[in-house]
Amino acid sequence: MGDVILTMKDISKSFPGVKALDRVNFELRRGEVHALMGENGAGKSTLMKVLTGIYTKDTGIISYEGREITFHNTHEAQEAGVVIVHQELNMVGDLTVAQNIFIGREFKKGFMIDDRKMVQESKKLFDELHIDIDPKAKMSDLTVGKQQMCEIAKAISHKAKVIIFDEPSAALTEKEIEDLFAIIRDLRAQNLGIIYISHRMDEIKVITDRVTVMRDGTYVGTLITSECTKEDIINMMVGRVIYEDPKTHSMVPKDAPVVLKVEHLNAGKMVQDVSFELRKGEILGFSGLMGAGRTETARALFGADPKQSGDIYINGEKVTINSPEDAVKHGIGYLSEDRKRFGIVVQKTITENSTLATMEKYMPGLFINKGAEKAVAEQYIKELDTKTPGADQLVVNLSGGNQQKVVIAKWLVRNCDILIFDEPTRGIDVGAKNEIYKLMNHLASEGKSIIMISSEMTEILRMSDRIVVMCEGKKTGEIPIEEATQEAIMDKATRDIK
Amino acid sequence: MEKIKQNPIVKKLGFNRIILFCILLIMYGVFSAVIQGFAGAARIMSILNYAYFLGFLALGVTFVIATGGIDFSIGPVMFCCALMSGYTLNTFGAPVIVALLMSIAIGLCFGCFNGYLVAYVGIPPFIVSMATMNIAKGLGSVFTKTQSVSWPQANDPSGNGWFRNLVKFNDFPTGLIIFIVAVIILYVVMNNTKAGRYILCLGSNKEAVRLSGVNVRKWQMLAYVICGMMAGIAAIFFVGAYTTVQPGLGDTYNNEAIASCVMGGTSMAGGLASIGGTVIGVLVISLLQEGIMALRMTKEVQMIITGLIVIVFVYADVSARRRKN
Repeated sequence: MGDVILTMKDISKSFPGVKALDRVNFELRRGEVHALMGENGAGKSTLMKVLTGIYTKDTGIISYEGREITFHNTHEAQEAGVVIVHQELNMVGDLTVAQNIFIGREFKKGFMIDDRKMVQESKKLFDELHIDIDPKAKMSDLTVGKQQMCEIAKAISHKAKVIIFDEPSAALTEKEIEDLFAIIRDLRAQNLGIIYISHRMDEIKVITDRVTVMRDGTYVGTLITSECTKEDIINMMVGRVIYEDPKTHSMVPKDAPVVLKVEHLNAGKMVQDVSFELRKGEILGFSGLMGAGRTETARALFGADPKQSGDIYINGEKVTINSPEDAVKHGIGYLSEDRKRFGIVVQKTITENSTLATMEKYMPGLFINKGAEKAVAEQYIKELDTKTPGADQLVVNLSGGNQQKVVIAKWLVRNCDILIFDEPTRGIDVGAKNEIYKLMNHLASEGKSIIMISSEMTEILRMSDRIVVMCEGKKTGEIPIEEATQEAIMDKATRDIK
Repeated sequence: MEKIKQNPIVKKLGFNRIILFCILLIMYGVFSAVIQGFAGAARIMSILNYAYFLGFLALGVTFVIATGGIDFSIGPVMFCCALMSGYTLNTFGAPVIVALLMSIAIGLCFGCFNGYLVAYVGIPPFIVSMATMNIAKGLGSVFTKTQSVSWPQANDPSGNGWFRNLVKFNDFPTGLIIFIVAVIILYVVMNNTKAGRYILCLGSNKEAVRLSGVNVRKWQMLAYVICGMMAGIAAIFFVGAYTTVQPGLGDTYNNEAIASCVMGGTSMAGGLASIGGTVIGVLVISLLQEGIMALRMTKEVQMIITGLIVIVFVYADVSARRRKN
């Protein structure tokens, strides 16, 4: 390891209502691979965005190559040699590899773009990195792994001194990961500083020199990778005090019937052979890190996305669910993590949204009985304590928590027995959160069965009767609430995949 | 979260609709003042003749625009309906009632075709309707061997002219009665039935409606079917007023129908539609057409004005949405 190239000291950043970073420290040396770890929402991405100028920091100091600096946008950061390789690749599929690498700074011959020179330069870059890619190939014809290599080559071509990898291995195969590691080792040998964000514990052990752990927007500590164990890192990641009381035992009677049974569900890469059972009156938590395949499982179960195989039994009877229409018919309701896109029709009234899944009930003949419709909307406004001047209010004018209540009302009007809550409290303030929790508990006690997908550990431990943990499209564990700890869940959520 | 206080009547009718209606009255006043003999029953009958067929087209396309789609084929489809059924009437001696039903059926077929391709196959409505527009023009020409088709006059010895009573009976505008009935039916469909509710909601957020367990494809297709059927009915009122149809035309009426919708407050982005607004929009366009003819200007001048109207009103809609967000 060489001298220090980058230090971030006491970095703070607030968003309305949230302290995303609270006096975070980070240090990177030349010729080191430094892992940045933490749960979802720990602040890793925010920190990197502050570094590369996407966000402006509130307080704190960044020094780079011995000088105090602030980048105002990614372009400035790039110019100075700080480059980020994104998780989602930013490539134009229809252009060639060379055109992509030099996009925005094409070589010119007069007015014309000099494609030949771009190809030559790309070839040089690839040779340096020992990558075997044809610069004239169309980007969309390459595998994700190769595209990632191009992204790295593009980063190097900016004369990078610091490269940030944001979950680079998420979409790669074993072989591609090995190639990637070979390149990273190369870069390290050339004395570059590398920041490596990943959830894969095994990779961290293999490729990194030091690990910095963040939690809830704060800096927890930095360890030397070769001197610590996986358990040390996990303990640092989850070691927060839980203010809200976790559930200590399941509220579900031992003999409660199974209302939903899913067997060997397969849907694309993100849902591989997932099986589980849901009992009457149970809240089944689905835990896991970002991209674990929880939402995809729910969507496949609900018929929102196509599935390849898998059997679904409701109350012991095998059912076919190929569309949301089928799912709703069988009494399943789905509350999406992205309310605005998938949950509500924002430009319509509360009334219209409340009866969206239940139109038939309010049509005695050909016409909608608007009086009855409004009455039921008002009934649920009262029951759920939705804050609104009236049922005629457009949903767009409501706050996040109240919009969520409208979505809940939609499924309650339908009288669904199985409710899937996908991140039920995302973007909802603390007060409203508690109300949603209370409501979910109340629904469960009334005999509704709930699947709750959540990325918040506290939420999982507070609400669930049983916890299913997923990791990279597979179910990796099932933990009764009596035995559940943050460490146990995190261990399964980050399990080494072989 | 304050509730905006509004006069209940203004709220019910909609501020924009009231403004548009005032524009209509002012236009009528200006034309009457500038052009000698513009005011009077004869001109109004002439305006109504134009408003009937344009009205059916515009009401139909209102449903399509409400889903967030567009249909550029309605004008040529209307002509295709009139040509094919008129040719069948004249050449094969089919009874008038058969010809009329045939016209509606052809429109319905085009609507199903458009709707299926958009909703079930997933081709963008812009492309589908552009293609259908050409198909309709071509089909009309091929079927009639590129001859224009004249429907029988009211006093035709065959007695086939009776269908003109649908438009005008002696001097009584029967067409107006039929049109008003149609407007009421479509208003109810749009605002008080499941079809209208789902069409509006899916125009606003299709994915949310789908995830509520609604068969969105069916309802999306239905909008195009209604639109096609309206074009078939429009054809009857067109020939009832203007007698002769030439093959290969009809596209100007697309723009006029769409202009009527957007003027009336139907949003091109989908989700918002006003049947009443469309009707006022149709009257504005029909009055404009009559006024321009009376000023001895050509149809082309009207095309320029209609084009500008579309841009102005869509801009107003877009900027209103931007302000809201």
